[in-house]
Amino acid sequence: MSLFGLFDIAKSAIFASQTALTVTSQNIANVNTPGFTRREALFAVAAPVALSGNLLGNGVTITGIKRYYDQFIQTQLLGQYENYGRSSALNQTLSQIEQIFNEAKNIGLAVPLTDFFNAWQELATNPEGFVQRSDLLQKANSLVLAAKQMERGITDNLESVSDSIDNIAERVNAIASEIAAINGKIVQVEAGSQVQNANDLRDQRDVLMNELATLVDFSSYEDENGSMTIMAGMRNLVSGETSNSLSTRTNEEGDKDLYLDGINITGNIKKGQLGGLISVRDTIRTNSLNGLRRLIASLIQEINMLHRSGYGLDGTTDNDFFAPLQLSTRDFSSGADMTATITDSSQLTLDEYSIQFDASGNYLVYNKQNGTLVTSGAYVSGSPISFDGIEISITGTVTSTDKFTVSPLTDVMKNFQVAISDQQKIAAASSNAALPGDNSNALRIVQLYQNSIANLGGATLSSYYGGLVSTIGSMSRAASDSLTFDDNLLSELNTKRESLSGVSLDEEAANLIRFQRSYQAGAKMIQITDELLQTLLDL
Amino acid sequence: MRITSFMIFNQLTRSLQRNMEDFAKLNSQLASGKRIEKPSDDVIGMMRSLDYRLSINNTEQYKRNIEEANFHLQFTDKVLGSVSDSLLKLKELLSMGGNDQTDENRSFYSNQAAEWRDFLLELSNTKLRDRYIFSGYKTDQVAFSYNSSTCHYDYNGDLGEIQIPFDTGATLPSNIQGSEAFSFTLEGPLPTELPDGTPLNYGQTTDPSTGVTTITIEIGNSGDPDYDTFSISNLMDVANVMSYAWQYKDITGSDLHSDAAIREEMATHRLMALSIPLDDAGNQVLQVQAEIGTRQVHLNDQNARLDNAALNLKNALSKTEDADMEQTITEILKTETALQALRESASRLISQSLLDFLK
Repeated sequence: MSLFGLFDIAKSAIFASQTALTVTSQNIANVNTPGFTRREALFAVAAPVALSGNLLGNGVTITGIKRYYDQFIQTQLLGQYENYGRSSALNQTLSQIEQIFNEAKNIGLAVPLTDFFNAWQELATNPEGFVQRSDLLQKANSLVLAAKQMERGITDNLESVSDSIDNIAERVNAIASEIAAINGKIVQVEAGSQVQNANDLRDQRDVLMNELATLVDFSSYEDENGSMTIMAGMRNLVSGETSNSLSTRTNEEGDKDLYLDGINITGNIKKGQLGGLISVRDTIRTNSLNGLRRLIASLIQEINMLHRSGYGLDGTTDNDFFAPLQLSTRDFSSGADMTATITDSSQLTLDEYSIQFDASGNYLVYNKQNGTLVTSGAYVSGSPISFDGIEISITGTVTSTDKFTVSPLTDVMKNFQVAISDQQKIAAASSNAALPGDNSNALRIVQLYQNSIANLGGATLSSYYGGLVSTIGSMSRAASDSLTFDDNLLSELNTKRESLSGVSLDEEAANLIRFQRSYQAGAKMIQITDELLQTLLDL
Repeated sequence: MRITSFMIFNQLTRSLQRNMEDFAKLNSQLASGKRIEKPSDDVIGMMRSLDYRLSINNTEQYKRNIEEANFHLQFTDKVLGSVSDSLLKLKELLSMGGNDQTDENRSFYSNQAAEWRDFLLELSNTKLRDRYIFSGYKTDQVAFSYNSSTCHYDYNGDLGEIQIPFDTGATLPSNIQGSEAFSFTLEGPLPTELPDGTPLNYGQTTDPSTGVTTITIEIGNSGDPDYDTFSISNLMDVANVMSYAWQYKDITGSDLHSDAAIREEMATHRLMALSIPLDDAGNQVLQVQAEIGTRQVHLNDQNARLDNAALNLKNALSKTEDADMEQTITEILKTETALQALRESASRLISQSLLDFLK
């Protein structure tokens, strides 16, 4: 072995140290970069040379740059990001709905509802008083206003949920196309290489996938080329270098459905912010919105029933206090139209119904709330169908695929208003002969506040409303608890990831010294070799 | 475990964040004085406080109702006091204006009786806040009015009781019907002859729709020249009969009899026969006043009970939703200390690095 061999060893040492210093610098530079995984230059003894029967060392080589990365933790993290996304969407939406029912700050219906019934008590003590009558009308209008405001608050929230779904779908598409682009680059860089060395690209892709996981739940796998396939709702979102676009469409209920690759995947999305928003809007609709509408519908129904039986100061009877309930219908038929009217408001259950037809020409009326068959029979074209105080009539030809729905609740708030404008018509008396001092009908209405109401499941008006408040309170509490839980878990997992993949400045500082020293020693070796050569040359 | 710079920072910011959150929450509790600021803070507590508040609200409404009912009853009681006094005066007239009076005296008594009659009519048609208080439900009509064709006083009201709710499911009438206060029934064994031995018969029938009792008085034997019968159905009728009797006249204004002696005897008999009805009418008014008293006692008891209940409810409400100030302040101090310690340790932790020691 010649002296020049020493140069080679020294040179390899300098190069290796320089590479290690570069890796260290890169680590230090990215100490605050999210998703960055720390790297380490891998040193190995260079292939030795055989010299007169002995194997002599040939310096050092860098065999690769290791990325400190644990696929297992990353998979767990993705799952937790999905949970976190869901919880945060639930928490955000439910805490807003909760504010609409915030009785702790006297926001809500409890005060206007009691005020309304108190006004009836005042009327009962002074049945012919004009002050009491106009006060009652004013309290009734306040109640109407409060209820409408609450409904608007809820529907505004549902609309903003729809908007959020649109926005998130757009972001999902942006991420998907970025991941697809990165897939292409990774495949290109790593082509033919045995090691996964497209480290920066992989870091980038992980960051994007983490963000995607907070938005929507997905399954993913990496093929042997390093390309990541991502499936959301069992359809391909990203496959190789191509991505499919997630689109939204408004469905019959007025909600946004998610379509991927032309298929409705709404039902398959359970987690991430999208999953959270989809589940929370159903919760809000069935619990808060329909609950509130049912409460008001019962109030209208019960008050009107009593009020119609009484007499106003002007001797008129059969007057509605609130504008009467109206049915709203929806039509899933091409050839037929349906109209529905209330024939007996005392029999209304306030449930929604669906009317279907079978192949043998029978009609089937189902209660949508509990799924029971209400009535059925042979359908005679043009003749009306009656059930539970409702009569429907259909024009046109029906087929077995036609479906109609009838709901007394949908338009409750829209039509909710005080029907009495002339205070004389407020019916405090139960008989025409006993005017004007008779207060017995007013007393019956006062009593209504304490009565249990069949259409509210036997609850009183105030206890049913209390139920609505406690339901939203519990849901909001549960959402905020699970957000805290998911946040902690996420932080725990991130800590785990950081523990392995994060950059420690102390460590890197030590490495700096270490590689600086080895660089300096390598340089010294060159100097010594040079001196040795000089010695030779000087001979 | 390998600790990295990011972990330290992350841990630190999270701890600071959590601490600040606690701090903010406690501060807002201190500011509002409320432990529950939204339903999810304490769902059960929220429900309880909602319940308490509704109950307090109900209680306050019942108290307002009681006040109103009490006002009506008190007013009615005052009016009935005057009625009672008037009846005493009539009774006095009756005992003074017996037999052998001069025509001057008779006309004086007659005028007096007529005045009391008109006063009673006024009393029966008392208004409170635009309502005739003795007309039952028909508060827009005078309770009693003079019917010029029958020459009697008619009751225009009904039996309506204006019930006032004073507790859950409990009501109490705030009015007295005119038929109860101004019309009356004769009680107990009734005499069958006048002190002078003339046969006497009291008959009475009550109209179930108005509650007015018509008392028919028969004096003497049917067919006798001095046989006399007349009817009364309320206090005004009684005074009216008295007023005319002192003038030897029937209420129609015609003489009781063409013969002066018989006429005088008949008038005397009439006045004598009215003595018992007048006593019973007085008793009836006293009974009604007693009834009003009972109702007032009932209402006052209830009022006291409601006051008590409201106090208990308010205490319970405060216990449920109010923040315990001492505890909150202690908690704030604790959080503050923790926050300070955290900041101090953080400043040491993040200011140090190996790089500081490499010179």
